[in-house]
Amino acid sequence: MYELRAAIAIAKKDLKTFFRYRIAVVSQIFVPLYQGVIPGLLFGASFAVGGRVVGLEETVGTENLAGFIFMGGVMSGLIATGFWSMAMGIRNEMDAGTLEPSWLTPTHHETLLIGRALGGVVWQILGQTALFAIGIAFFGLRFRTEILYAVPAVLVAVVAMVGVAYLLAAGVLLIREANFFIDTTNFLFSIASGTAFPVTLLPAIFLPVALLLPTTYAVDLLRVHAIGQRPLFDPLLEWAGLLATTALALFVGRWAFKRAVRVMRVRGTLAQY
Amino acid sequence: MRRYPTLLLSVLFWPILLPAATVLMGRAYSGSNDPQAIQAFAERAGTSEVTGFVFVGYAMYMWLSAMLWGPGSALRTEQVRGSLEAVFLTPTSRLVPLFAPPIAALPAIILDFAVIFPAMWLLFGVALPLDAMLRAVVVAMVGIPALYAIGALFASLVLRYGEIGPVVHLTRGIFVLACGITFPVAMLPAWAQIGSAFLPPTYTVADTRAVLLRGEGLGAVAGDLIFVVALTLIVAALASVVFRWLDRSARRTGMLGRY
Repeated sequence: MYELRAAIAIAKKDLKTFFRYRIAVVSQIFVPLYQGVIPGLLFGASFAVGGRVVGLEETVGTENLAGFIFMGGVMSGLIATGFWSMAMGIRNEMDAGTLEPSWLTPTHHETLLIGRALGGVVWQILGQTALFAIGIAFFGLRFRTEILYAVPAVLVAVVAMVGVAYLLAAGVLLIREANFFIDTTNFLFSIASGTAFPVTLLPAIFLPVALLLPTTYAVDLLRVHAIGQRPLFDPLLEWAGLLATTALALFVGRWAFKRAVRVMRVRGTLAQY
Repeated sequence: MRRYPTLLLSVLFWPILLPAATVLMGRAYSGSNDPQAIQAFAERAGTSEVTGFVFVGYAMYMWLSAMLWGPGSALRTEQVRGSLEAVFLTPTSRLVPLFAPPIAALPAIILDFAVIFPAMWLLFGVALPLDAMLRAVVVAMVGIPALYAIGALFASLVLRYGEIGPVVHLTRGIFVLACGITFPVAMLPAWAQIGSAFLPPTYTVADTRAVLLRGEGLGAVAGDLIFVVALTLIVAALASVVFRWLDRSARRTGMLGRY
């Protein structure tokens, strides 16, 4: 119970700090629009024949370009939250000089990340709602009511991203100057999950990596339910893949985080940056 | 870059991965190069070579990023380090810190090109003819001063507003949308196409594609190049005027030492 209260307090603190910077809040909505959605839509539409994106229909079984891009954006945003808000948040505490005091509180170290995850998820819900509203109003975004069936898959993906964030936080604690590490791995993780294009288009050697990522199954299930995309595998098999890889991510992530914390205690590097 | 080796990694990583991911997006949208979809793209983009189109666009993106984040924010870096006042107290003309930093960005830009085109060949098998590449170098040489001027214009804003990161971010986004960097300009609404016609990178990226992917000669793009030179002169003059004006304002308000 105490841990839950601590996690909620961390989430509240993160959200309070975030909403103090209003330009940053607005840019969190508009940057994905002008960096991802609009270029993606116009690039995709440049292949349209008679107003229909026949190529996309051939590739994934639906010509709903806006739906394909926005659903990819949901998972991409979730991945970015795991990488930047949860894992890189440790680095931000390091820079601010508040990591040591946080570490010395009786709260479990893992709770520090759970709290960040909670804050990140709340912001994701608000941000994605705003993006969807803009998409529906200006970019012809349409999706089926069956999208609700994909909500459990997205929630499981959130849990998976907590596991991934543990793993990344371990890396951040050890290498400290982690901006490039987080930036590049975030991009690779997102691309390998199929947020921008189906993983079947990845070079063959990267396909096994893609199938080890829980978000690959989550984004596919989301698109299957929301826009009627042709699934990669049987949806039941995808659910099994999602649950198995999520369990693996949590196990490996927590183990790596504990190891990193131990290494830091031995070396005394917590205060170094 | 020699002192910070991770910068070298980013020069190798982004120019390869960003365009490669976009090419794969193109494959998804075109049904893995469905002839009808590629024909539709060719009518809008002027070339059916999607890979070349994307890689040339991203070369320009890297170039813009280097100019806007490097020289465009060089004065800001000096300000944050506390050395801007000291630099301004030297007898050197104040236009030197405004226009000189772009020279430091040149090696990075050349390195981007040295990475991006071999990557296009190695990953996607698209090789460009040598004579076309030489013509592209000429187009790039004409385009470089224009980007210098744009970078200088942004640098001068530091004297008034201090933190210009969000502005640089937004401006790069506008250039990406308006200049046909990741999609054909023909896809923009008519009003946006008129706006894009006044941005030098629109011509530089279009002309680079024309000489590299359509095999056109320099004569075919000469009109564009002259227009780019004219735009460069206007933007550079504007940057000088804005800089002098903001410099006077900074002296009055004491903004120079604040950040």
